[in-house]
Amino acid sequence: MWLFVTRRLAVLVLTLLVVSVFAFLIPYLSDGDPAVLVLRSRVADFQVDQAAVEALRHQLGLDRSLLAQYLGWLNAALHGDFGYSYTSRAPVIDQIGRALLVSITLAMSALGIAIVIAVPLGTAAATRPGGPIDTAATFITQTLVAIPEYWMAPMGILVFALYLGWLPSAGWDGMSSLVLPAMVLALRPLAYFTRVTRAAMIDVLQAPYITAARSRGLGMTQTVLRHGVRNGAIPVVTLFALWLAGLLGGSVVVEVIFAIPGMGRLIYEAVINKDIPVLQASFVAIVALSVLINTLADILYAVLNPMVRMAHAHA
Amino acid sequence: MHMPDAMAAPLFDVANRAASPPSLLRRALGFARQRHWVFSAGVVMFAIVLLMLCCAHWLTPYDPAAQSLLQRLQGPSSRHWLGTDHLGRDQLSRLLVGGHFAIIIAAVTLVLSAVIGTVIGVISARQGGFVDEITMRIVDLLISFPDVVVAIFLIALMGPGYGTLIVALTVVSWTPFARLARGLAIEINAKSYIRAAEILGCSRRFIILRHIIPNAIRPLAAMGFLRFGHKLITVGGLSFIGLGVQPPHADWAAMMASSQPYLERAPLLVICPGLAIFLTALSVTWIGQGLETKRKTAGDQA
Repeated sequence: MWLFVTRRLAVLVLTLLVVSVFAFLIPYLSDGDPAVLVLRSRVADFQVDQAAVEALRHQLGLDRSLLAQYLGWLNAALHGDFGYSYTSRAPVIDQIGRALLVSITLAMSALGIAIVIAVPLGTAAATRPGGPIDTAATFITQTLVAIPEYWMAPMGILVFALYLGWLPSAGWDGMSSLVLPAMVLALRPLAYFTRVTRAAMIDVLQAPYITAARSRGLGMTQTVLRHGVRNGAIPVVTLFALWLAGLLGGSVVVEVIFAIPGMGRLIYEAVINKDIPVLQASFVAIVALSVLINTLADILYAVLNPMVRMAHAHA
Repeated sequence: MHMPDAMAAPLFDVANRAASPPSLLRRALGFARQRHWVFSAGVVMFAIVLLMLCCAHWLTPYDPAAQSLLQRLQGPSSRHWLGTDHLGRDQLSRLLVGGHFAIIIAAVTLVLSAVIGTVIGVISARQGGFVDEITMRIVDLLISFPDVVVAIFLIALMGPGYGTLIVALTVVSWTPFARLARGLAIEINAKSYIRAAEILGCSRRFIILRHIIPNAIRPLAAMGFLRFGHKLITVGGLSFIGLGVQPPHADWAAMMASSQPYLERAPLLVICPGLAIFLTALSVTWIGQGLETKRKTAGDQA
């Protein structure tokens, strides 16, 4: 078990190092001299002075070797210093922190809604495969994955904000502004969660211990609740982690539509403004968190499932 | 002989009848009949969409790009069936041509991803060991990435453009194909006919090309159609925030974005293009689902 955990952690650190190299290289990969970019974002004048560029190049340490620059950048980054945003002039790390919190809130709400609907629906579908509930659930999930969220969002705004006036149409101000975006974001994970729950539960319900429980005279509902749900939960947990990692980057489109100050919109605006420190930091933050969540999910999976644990112990 | 064949054959089958006894069309019909109804429904819907896009040039009542500011934001009428947008352009004409770019970009991305993913997956499965481990780690990492975010990063680096768009979307979307192809290759590899081919001294390349890929093609096609809908929605998402299909080309998602401020006054301008994307994505999803369903039942019988 410990060998497995150490190996996964080693992979985690290695991945983060590779990611940091990529993030560091962002200004060098994009078109244009970083010094010119910085200068251009500070002064409105398009014709930048060559002497000023050289001075800034020295000031930013751009005349040092690439390796020295990388080590310097990495050292600062490890201390939480990603520099200052070109546009807002605020420390990047603060902006990222605030945006991440918003995106995590949104992602957890959306995934919460999805789980609450998908697990009962998938379980109900699995208890009688091919039955009416199963047919309906399959049809609904097929339909949901084909709905673009940038269509669902305006439709939600149209009905709940403009016609009914129940919810605000945009912004980030209290619970009520969370409802619409979370519902829109929940649709696609809802479809996948339902599908995975159904498949997992069909497998679980065929297991000998379910037959044993049934033969002891336990009712179907009791059997499912006592034995089924816990065992069927494992693949759902994995999928949840995968989706959480994916949504941390924020759903750019939904955040832009609803004017939510999360990661998605931060990245979007950084791209539009060519705000390189923000791009670097958000790239590192998103990848680091998504790798971290996946590693934790793997370890959790091994803890929950003794068979995986054993296989890795012998490997 | 079944009725649908008898009815369809004289109509379409004139040229092929003599050439090959079970004609392509008849085989296609037979293929479709074995499938769930969603498969046929998907094929019909997708065919209608493609036909509309191909004939859009002759169908559009107005020039999709022709502006007429005096007639902006009109409701549906006999002259403009779906009304006009904020620049007075005919909504129906724009709707008819609005899928071109998104569908082509999605299709190109998909073919590239499928080919790259399959090659990597099959090689990974055949090599095993260290190569396999590393490849699957990369797949695990990339698969959880939101494709819109990755695409945005790459657009930031490489500058906007259709080439960037295709590269950016391919970078993330080969991973599911690699995973599926790897699984299929390992599954097929365990079959006895592979052992037989190996004993006969066939080269590894021959075995991959002749045995593994042909047997893996249907599940991969199912996956392809399922991903196609997803790709279409992703391309639309990028166009929606202005990083995808660029004006003056009409695009469904871009039309929705530019009509967003007039949502209350002219909701049809947002509803119709969204419906077009939804129905197109739904049709390919149904095709993929149909292919997949059959595969499972066929596996049960075998």
